[in-house]
Amino acid sequence: MTDNVIEAKGLSKRYGDFVALKSVDFNVPLGRIVGVVGPNGSGKTTMLNAVLGLSSYDGGLTVMGHDPSTERDALMQDVCFIADVATLPKWMKVVEVFDYVEAVHPRFDRAKAMDFLSRTNVPLDRKVRALSKGMTVQVHLAVVMSIDAKLLVLDEPTLGLDIIFRKQFYQSLLEEYFDEERTVIITTHQVEEVEHILSDVMFIRDGEIVLQAEMDDLTSQFTEVMVAPGNEEEAMKLGPIAKGTSFGKSTCVYKNIDRDTLAKLGETRRLGLADIFVATMTGEGA
Amino acid sequence: MNTFAALIKREILDGQNGYIRVPVILAGLSVLFVILSTITVGAELEFQDMAFDGEEPSLSRLLERGLESEDGQREMPAVVALSYWVMGGLAWVALPFVVFFSLLGSLYEERRDRSVLFWKSMPVPDWQEVVAKLVTPVVIAPMIFLGMAVAAQLVIALFLSIVVLFQGGPMTELWPLGFMLWGWISFVPDYLMWSLWALPLLAWVLFVSSYASRLPFLWAVLPMALVAAVEGIFLETTNFLQWVGTHIGGGVLEAQFAHLDIDPDTPREFYDLIIGAPRFDMILNSFGNMQFWIGLVIAAGLVYGAIEMRKRAI
Repeated sequence: MTDNVIEAKGLSKRYGDFVALKSVDFNVPLGRIVGVVGPNGSGKTTMLNAVLGLSSYDGGLTVMGHDPSTERDALMQDVCFIADVATLPKWMKVVEVFDYVEAVHPRFDRAKAMDFLSRTNVPLDRKVRALSKGMTVQVHLAVVMSIDAKLLVLDEPTLGLDIIFRKQFYQSLLEEYFDEERTVIITTHQVEEVEHILSDVMFIRDGEIVLQAEMDDLTSQFTEVMVAPGNEEEAMKLGPIAKGTSFGKSTCVYKNIDRDTLAKLGETRRLGLADIFVATMTGEGA
Repeated sequence: MNTFAALIKREILDGQNGYIRVPVILAGLSVLFVILSTITVGAELEFQDMAFDGEEPSLSRLLERGLESEDGQREMPAVVALSYWVMGGLAWVALPFVVFFSLLGSLYEERRDRSVLFWKSMPVPDWQEVVAKLVTPVVIAPMIFLGMAVAAQLVIALFLSIVVLFQGGPMTELWPLGFMLWGWISFVPDYLMWSLWALPLLAWVLFVSSYASRLPFLWAVLPMALVAAVEGIFLETTNFLQWVGTHIGGGVLEAQFAHLDIDPDTPREFYDLIIGAPRFDMILNSFGNMQFWIGLVIAAGLVYGAIEMRKRAI
């Protein structure tokens, strides 16, 4: 008995000649916050759509013990998702959205949703159409965070929102929603904003999972060195996976090289997820 | 069941312009027309073969004249009940458009505005969504329209009663309650029978709505026109159009009334035909009709297709 929320084996998806997902294998355990990172068109959304039962696929896929391709409705008892900004029905009033979810979702806690919303400026009797983009997202988040689901999937949840709101959102996601009984999957372009809350990360490129790792392991693998003048030659010998310059000094990025060794070359620092991503995607880090 | 009720409620809310506002407005207008015409020209209405012996013509006199003969006494309740349907008839004119365009937009709009992704994040099976989107315009909407029409008839009857009361006429003649009630009630089975006949065409519109990526109206209408045209040009027949006509017409001549003598001579016979028709026979005749069943099979196939399309929709 494993505690995996998602188990995928040989998961593939093709659109005609185009293979959007190339037989990927992965497991997502319970109690994690997984960041799925990849360029546009890399297959992130294709993968999530398969997981959520929104599209067909080839290969084996189990989500919460269900086959998503045939049991989407049962799956949605335990899984919640925001697939895109502005998918709330524009003709509904906010209160009608709550009424509807309350009627069809047995795990929706209306009081909780009202509590979330009371901390915002969103008027209950306003139609979604008349809300700003930020308010619409707040309503949608109030809905999903009030559903007692095991798996929450957020595909670019904060796209187009201002920085203050984005910070608040991830803050409340971490503090009020997440616990060891839940799993959250997030895809986003703004990697810097989520990296401090992620426990796991998955890099996707051209329909393949290039890297899947726990955040702590991953960030300890990569080290950036501001190479002190005179150490350049030695630095090159250690085989950096990426090179650059900043403030007139050359910088080198290393993977899996002892930090003490690197410290002799110059000042070292851990690499941010965005830099690891870029290094992995462009260099030989994979 | 709670879920399905919530889906129906959502559909009505989504289409409340067509489902609620339009019939309310039309019912209101039909009442208004009756009131206005009674106040302005009503008093001067002249009826063929009805002399008023120099008396000032009035609604009361009209009723009294009508009741003078035995025939008149027998026909009066039917005449009154029928007139209410005619006077409140305006309430119905929008129904075909509401049904057609609600079906046409049902599975199309949710994809266009992306809300399908929100609906799909709820634990609701696709087949329930599709059935709700079929049932609401086809069954619920006509019942709402019926409710509005009944309300309009009652208000009209009430208004005319007041007029006749002031004129000192036979006010009770304006309340042939049995006839009125049976007219309303028999609408329901007759309509449902009609909707079963029309189901292949209604399901076609639903299917188009699940399929068309744009221009659903053209998708709904053009293929029909094309089939009819191709048949007309190459086979020089009109079987397809006849088939469509039979289903739109509720199979009236094909089965339902085929055995009846449809030649009512008086209002009462006409009303009896409508409300007191041997409904059981009509239903049996439809059920024994091959075209009826083929239509239902086609409808089932189209609804199934719409459900499969809904499963794949993002």
